[in-house]
Amino acid sequence: MSKMASMFRPKKLDLSGFVNTRLIRDHNKRNAVEQTEPERQALRYMIRNTSLPQRVRAQAQLQLSQMHAYTRPTQIKNRCVASGTARAVFRDFRINRFQFRMQALAGELPGVKKASW
Amino acid sequence: MFSNPTRSLLGAGRRLRVPLSARWQSTTPVQPSAPSPAQETKTASPAKSVPILEANAAKSTGPANTEPELPSEQRVKEWSERMGALDNNARLPRSVQAVYMRPLRRKAEHGLPVCDLQLRSYSVENVEFFADFAIRAAYYLNLPVSGPVPLPRIVERWTVPRSNFVHKKSQENFERITLRRLIQIKDGNPQSVQAWLAFLRKHAFYGVGMKANVWEHESLDVGKAMDQSATEVQKTLEPHLAQFGQREDNSAGNNMFDVLDSDRFAERKSARA
Repeated sequence: MSKMASMFRPKKLDLSGFVNTRLIRDHNKRNAVEQTEPERQALRYMIRNTSLPQRVRAQAQLQLSQMHAYTRPTQIKNRCVASGTARAVFRDFRINRFQFRMQALAGELPGVKKASW
Repeated sequence: MFSNPTRSLLGAGRRLRVPLSARWQSTTPVQPSAPSPAQETKTASPAKSVPILEANAAKSTGPANTEPELPSEQRVKEWSERMGALDNNARLPRSVQAVYMRPLRRKAEHGLPVCDLQLRSYSVENVEFFADFAIRAAYYLNLPVSGPVPLPRIVERWTVPRSNFVHKKSQENFERITLRRLIQIKDGNPQSVQAWLAFLRKHAFYGVGMKANVWEHESLDVGKAMDQSATEVQKTLEPHLAQFGQREDNSAGNNMFDVLDSDRFAERKSARA
């Protein structure tokens, strides 16, 4: 298996809206994780299964560690869909804190109002 | 002629004339120009009569007698007078009248809950309006309803710095309040409950979300009925169940790596590349 990240890159851009290199990269990672999940889970199961021969388990460990980094679910990071920022992204809106403020003040987020209590 | 009762009648006639001008025009060809003797007697009768009689009297005398007085009088009457005249003379259809009153309800016979509908919205008007609509719809589908129960509001709050960078001291608060209403249907026919839910979905109101829990009730010997149908179910499941378990010819040293390197996995790997 080659170690090129380009193998996860689609031929044609499959994102719309705000687009950013880092956003595309994260999107590719998500796709890779989704596609290789059964394979990863099978290997993980083999590694942990004590009833299997030690050799098989060691082999599974090797194979799992040789899988591409993009197939790891820990590589996924929530990014703001409006600005691509990776910090302070609200899960409810998938938006950065500053974008959230701008859109809330513009009334683009249903039900979100300025609060005072 | 201008004895006391007649004068009051004329006043009533003038009051009635303004809102119903269109009706006057439409009725003039049908009505005979000269008032009939019977109506004359009504005109002469004392003013303490039923509103309909008054209206009749106005019809007969109004156009002939009050015409010269009109220019001096104010042509357009006050709203209260006009609405009062409407009350006396005509009424809205019952179904339209009902809109102005509290929704009608059926009485629950057993009080067995059948369906819980939860409405959610960020605005009070929307959720109140739609709850009212749902209750009225349930009445016409013959479903006993209890509610709308105002469930606790869901308040979400966020605090964000005002600036896009540092300056943590200056922040701003935002909130989103979700209002909820619960409408419960009691011992209704399951089919009409489905019809009700479908109707509400068809006429869904903007900004109002719906969530329904529907319960079905069976008779006590439901186990017997299930046992009877079990054989048929098993027949339909057989082709699927045949796929479960290990095949006998699979046991021969077939290790997992062969599976992972097999065509199926190789295909997927090449497909995503």
